[in-house]
Amino acid sequence: MVTAPVVEKPSTAEELARRLREAAESGSAVVPVGGGKAAGMGGPPLRCDVELQTTGLDRVLEHSQADMVVSVEAGITLEAIQAELARAGQFLPLDPFNSPGHTIGGLLATGWTGPLRQRFGSARDFLIGIRVALPDGRLASAGGRVVKNVSGYDLMKLHLGGMGSLGVIVAASFKVFPRPLHDVTVEKLNDSIDEAWDAAARALELPLLPAALELFSDGRVLARFFGSTDAVNRMVSELGWIQADLSAWGDHSRSAPESWARIAVPRSELRRVISGLPPGAHWWASPGIGIAHWSFDGGSEDVRGARAAAEAAHGSLVLMAARPDVTATLGAWGTPPATLELMTRIKRAFDPAGILNPGRFVV
Amino acid sequence: MALAPSVVEELRRIVGRESVIDSANDLRIFERDASIEGALPDAVVLASTTAHVAAVIKVAAKHHIPVVPRGAGTGLSGGAVTIRGGIALQVTRMRRVEIDPVAQTALVEPGVVNQELSLVAASHGLFYAPDPSSQKACTIGGNAAENSGGPHCLYYGVTTNHVLGMEVVLADGSIHWVGGDEPDRIGLDLCGVLVGSEGTLCAITKIKVRLLRIPPSVATLLAAFPTIESASHAVSAVIARGIVPAALEMMDHVTVGAVEAHYHAGYPTDAGAVLLVEVDGIAESTQELMGAIRKVLEENEGYALREAQTSAERDLLWAGRKGAIGALGRIKPNYYLHDGVVPRSRLPQILSAVGEIGEHYKLPVANVFHAGDGNLHPNILFDLRDRDVLPQVEGAGEEMLRAVVELGGALSGEHGIGLEKNAFMPWVYSPDDLDAMQRVKNAFDEDGILNPGKIFPDPLRKHVHLAGRTGLAVEAKWW
Repeated sequence: MVTAPVVEKPSTAEELARRLREAAESGSAVVPVGGGKAAGMGGPPLRCDVELQTTGLDRVLEHSQADMVVSVEAGITLEAIQAELARAGQFLPLDPFNSPGHTIGGLLATGWTGPLRQRFGSARDFLIGIRVALPDGRLASAGGRVVKNVSGYDLMKLHLGGMGSLGVIVAASFKVFPRPLHDVTVEKLNDSIDEAWDAAARALELPLLPAALELFSDGRVLARFFGSTDAVNRMVSELGWIQADLSAWGDHSRSAPESWARIAVPRSELRRVISGLPPGAHWWASPGIGIAHWSFDGGSEDVRGARAAAEAAHGSLVLMAARPDVTATLGAWGTPPATLELMTRIKRAFDPAGILNPGRFVV
Repeated sequence: MALAPSVVEELRRIVGRESVIDSANDLRIFERDASIEGALPDAVVLASTTAHVAAVIKVAAKHHIPVVPRGAGTGLSGGAVTIRGGIALQVTRMRRVEIDPVAQTALVEPGVVNQELSLVAASHGLFYAPDPSSQKACTIGGNAAENSGGPHCLYYGVTTNHVLGMEVVLADGSIHWVGGDEPDRIGLDLCGVLVGSEGTLCAITKIKVRLLRIPPSVATLLAAFPTIESASHAVSAVIARGIVPAALEMMDHVTVGAVEAHYHAGYPTDAGAVLLVEVDGIAESTQELMGAIRKVLEENEGYALREAQTSAERDLLWAGRKGAIGALGRIKPNYYLHDGVVPRSRLPQILSAVGEIGEHYKLPVANVFHAGDGNLHPNILFDLRDRDVLPQVEGAGEEMLRAVVELGGALSGEHGIGLEKNAFMPWVYSPDDLDAMQRVKNAFDEDGILNPGKIFPDPLRKHVHLAGRTGLAVEAKWW
């Protein structure tokens, strides 16, 4: 039974840590909230006594242009970071769906990524420091503000994609990237979906890999190339696809179906698993990564089958947003990982009373 | 303290009589890694299988005996040193490699040598990107435990960016798979936290790594600079121009002299410093990038620019770089190779601080390092036969690290903390930060049998000479 929670919106990390400790001491369940863009992800909260908003922490702490490093508070929006970086000709290669409005803390906690993962990897590859408020009120940092660092355990990894189950991210530092010398988008409209998969496979065999490559259930393939002018032009002419407008990516990042799921499998399995979706399914895929997002029609039967196929391919199907009854029936995450007991040990080490996001994640 | 005969017998039953070493003379071979400090293990166990590793750790857990996993022993922070005695668990017999050319991955055992993996992968047109300078000897297991780097990590990322999954044995002897081939696995990223945990959370028995396609075109350029400062400015200028080369390495005057005398690679011995720059990709982009880089270097006092014309010439330039530490033996028989990282823009300051510290201690210092990352490697050169030299060497190293930290840097970029730097951890991490790490340690290894005495400040071995002198406890001032 969920009653209306108390809403807290601290404006400093210290205050946030204090609120978190107070909640923990009184046994209140805390749900951290950033931009609310991933509110549908995960299981329904078992309890929510305090909604802890991070959006009061919205500053750029430091942007060192020369070092290509930026440190920000967790509640800042991705758009605000990009605006700051753009002034120096730099950017953070995160382009999540359901944009705009993501906070960086939310993106880290959920681990959402977008098409540029093809070239830059996920935040796992360019997050270099993190600061987290723990339920006992401590503020713990890991990593630092340099681009290479092996000093102590890499605790950043535990919070990235950890759904706020171990602590509340209050700040983060990133390695950022120079805007590409040349940025070209091309597309190919295919008559059949098989033709589209083949086209995408060809693009992934080019000597200069696309920076992003997306395939849509209507047969369209969209590719983006970063690099030197000559190199990009050669790739574009080898492919022979038609030039498209860069705004295609902005439109794509606004994709936010009412009910949708993320299918993640080894990339060599993606085509096969996606081909098993119901006829007429609406989806888009990143063939070079092994991820697809599927906008399904409300009900749960098809999703059950797709999840079984994804898990049989050693992958997963996670609900990004769904009707409450569907989430309740299917579970948000699917079969628990074999290492759940280990994860639970870590959860207990950080949140022994289980007050953080109870019910939302697998631990 | 020697192990009880019954324990040695238990170990022999697991791996076979010949694969347990416990004679005083033979143990000496396993006393050290490539760092300064050593300590004898009580026994060395040569494991051949995951089952061996698990069974040995079970025995150790039962008797509360420390276990230290060990690869080639090339580590530079004491990660493989059995500082509390116990069992050195040697995994170099575990060296199978399976390449999956379609998925572009390799499944390797921990004893596989880094360069061997790339050699095997090359027949499929693939390579393994992290390339520590010790790659001819160091093992992938050690690389994963230490989260090793290398020159080409500037563009490609360090070990953790290339490890997809691992089979690990925990402190209770249980075997688990963490991570895997597919992106965005459900749950906490255990693989991510175990990579770089320096043998303190698990022993690694298999590693699944990502392989990359060998780029069709590579361009390698050597450029001389009048001073180390001008070379540092050139490094920042290249990056500021939006160019991230595959590698961007610096060697100072001292290093260049030693390297040239040894390798005759055509390094300019009159230079204050040289940069070795490499870009790779398709021909169109390497040409354009190299053109842009040449321009930046020349604008920043670069001279005698020389691009490798053949792959043999390229190999020779790299042999000089990767063999630089060995070549320094021409100057002094011993070296202490340090590792710290500063924000790239602070390179001129840190290098001048390093120079001053060397002068103060009257010790020659040679710099050879990953400039593009701001990852410094000052080599303090000395002769162990000189009376009382070691405390001087350690003092100088400690001051250099202190300077790194004061410039907003990190204690280690790729060598790890181990024994070498655990006393300095409070310089960069607050008690709360360290407490968070300790919770993870306890969650995995409550009894502390896996590689004890590493990473965390060790109350049994206090030796921070500088603490208090400069008013320390920098408490995460970077926030």
